[in-house]
Amino acid sequence: MSEITIPKDLWDDDSPGVISTWFFEDGDTVSEGDILAEVMNEKISFDIVSPATGRLVVGCAAETEVTLGQVIGRIETP
Amino acid sequence: MTTKTKPVATRKLTIAKAMAEAIDQEMRRDDSVLVMGEDIGKLGGVFGNTGGLLDTHGPERVRDTPISETGFIGAAVGMAAAGMRPIVELMFVDFFGVCMDAIYNLAAKQSYFSGGRVACPMVLMTSVGGGYGDAGQHSQCLYATFGHLPGMKIVIPSNAHDAKGLMLAAIRDPNPVIFMYHKALQGMGWLGTVPGSIVAVSPEDYEVPIGTAQVVREGRDVTLVGWGLTLHHCLEAAITADADGISAEVIDLRTIAPLDRETVIASVRKTGRLVVVDDDYLSCGVAGEIIASVCESGTPLSAPPVRIAHPDIPIPFSPAMEHFVLPNAEKVSAAVRKVMEKKQ
Repeated sequence: MSEITIPKDLWDDDSPGVISTWFFEDGDTVSEGDILAEVMNEKISFDIVSPATGRLVVGCAAETEVTLGQVIGRIETP
Repeated sequence: MTTKTKPVATRKLTIAKAMAEAIDQEMRRDDSVLVMGEDIGKLGGVFGNTGGLLDTHGPERVRDTPISETGFIGAAVGMAAAGMRPIVELMFVDFFGVCMDAIYNLAAKQSYFSGGRVACPMVLMTSVGGGYGDAGQHSQCLYATFGHLPGMKIVIPSNAHDAKGLMLAAIRDPNPVIFMYHKALQGMGWLGTVPGSIVAVSPEDYEVPIGTAQVVREGRDVTLVGWGLTLHHCLEAAITADADGISAEVIDLRTIAPLDRETVIASVRKTGRLVVVDDDYLSCGVAGEIIASVCESGTPLSAPPVRIAHPDIPIPFSPAMEHFVLPNAEKVSAAVRKVMEKKQ
């Protein structure tokens, strides 16, 4: 199992971001390196990339606020 | 069943990412394709549609320009005449005034004036639409302003699948294509995005043919025509109509020029009723053009056609006033009820 985390240094300050979109559905099989989601902070978009290959479990819905270092989901590997 | 892993994941994209993917793939395939515009390089486009291109293709082919649409759009016309395939971005369609000579006197007439010997294979990407309080100089659609002028093709996708296919078709077209994208569908979090625009997009190479509308929902009683954002208003109204026992057919125009009149006329021949939803100004608009085309075809109608459009005033800044005048699903539903009142 791998956690999907908003990297701690994705933006400069400790202001919150928002998950704009998930590009896969909860339960989809995804590959390492796939762009899973887009997170926005101060009008700038950041891609969240899959850390592993496996089954995606979405932990935070789109449009919810997130902070640096937050776990927003996980990849379950067989 | 519910915990079972889905065998094939369908990757979804926003329209912004689908446009960037199409441009990236075509730049790999064709050395003559290049991109120019304000903030399209390092920033990846104010609306996200050129993300990653600078890193992949370098500053020779992905050029951030000074704020001079007159200069770089004029340059693009010359590049196209010389055999390149420039894609240029006019950040907001509202800014067309400073570069319209290059667009409609040079690009649009290049092939005609040269007897077909000099083509103009350029794409002008431009953002349209309001709804987020950006006032009268950053919220217009101007579909009809461009659609009125011969020599250019005008496309506007309502979803990411069509955005990629239309972009590939636009770049390969030998004539100028105006690729409009609606800010409310772009997938930029700060603008809010209609979820229906974020759909599965094949990583393969495919084109959506320019000039073809699509029946996206079949119905019997009334035809709803929309494009870009208004297509989504039509789809929402169709679901409401269903609950009232009214079967609505929905057409996504996808291209404003050349207009696919045949698809609309064929649908109205079946339903006998027509509602067109346009977020551009009402008078001399695309909605009026579609209604005129249906009337001219002699298609029998069970009720007078209805158009919903932005009134002939500048787009208000105040969100309360702006949303009062913009089309929405409720207004479409009211129009559906109106055309259904006269049963046969």
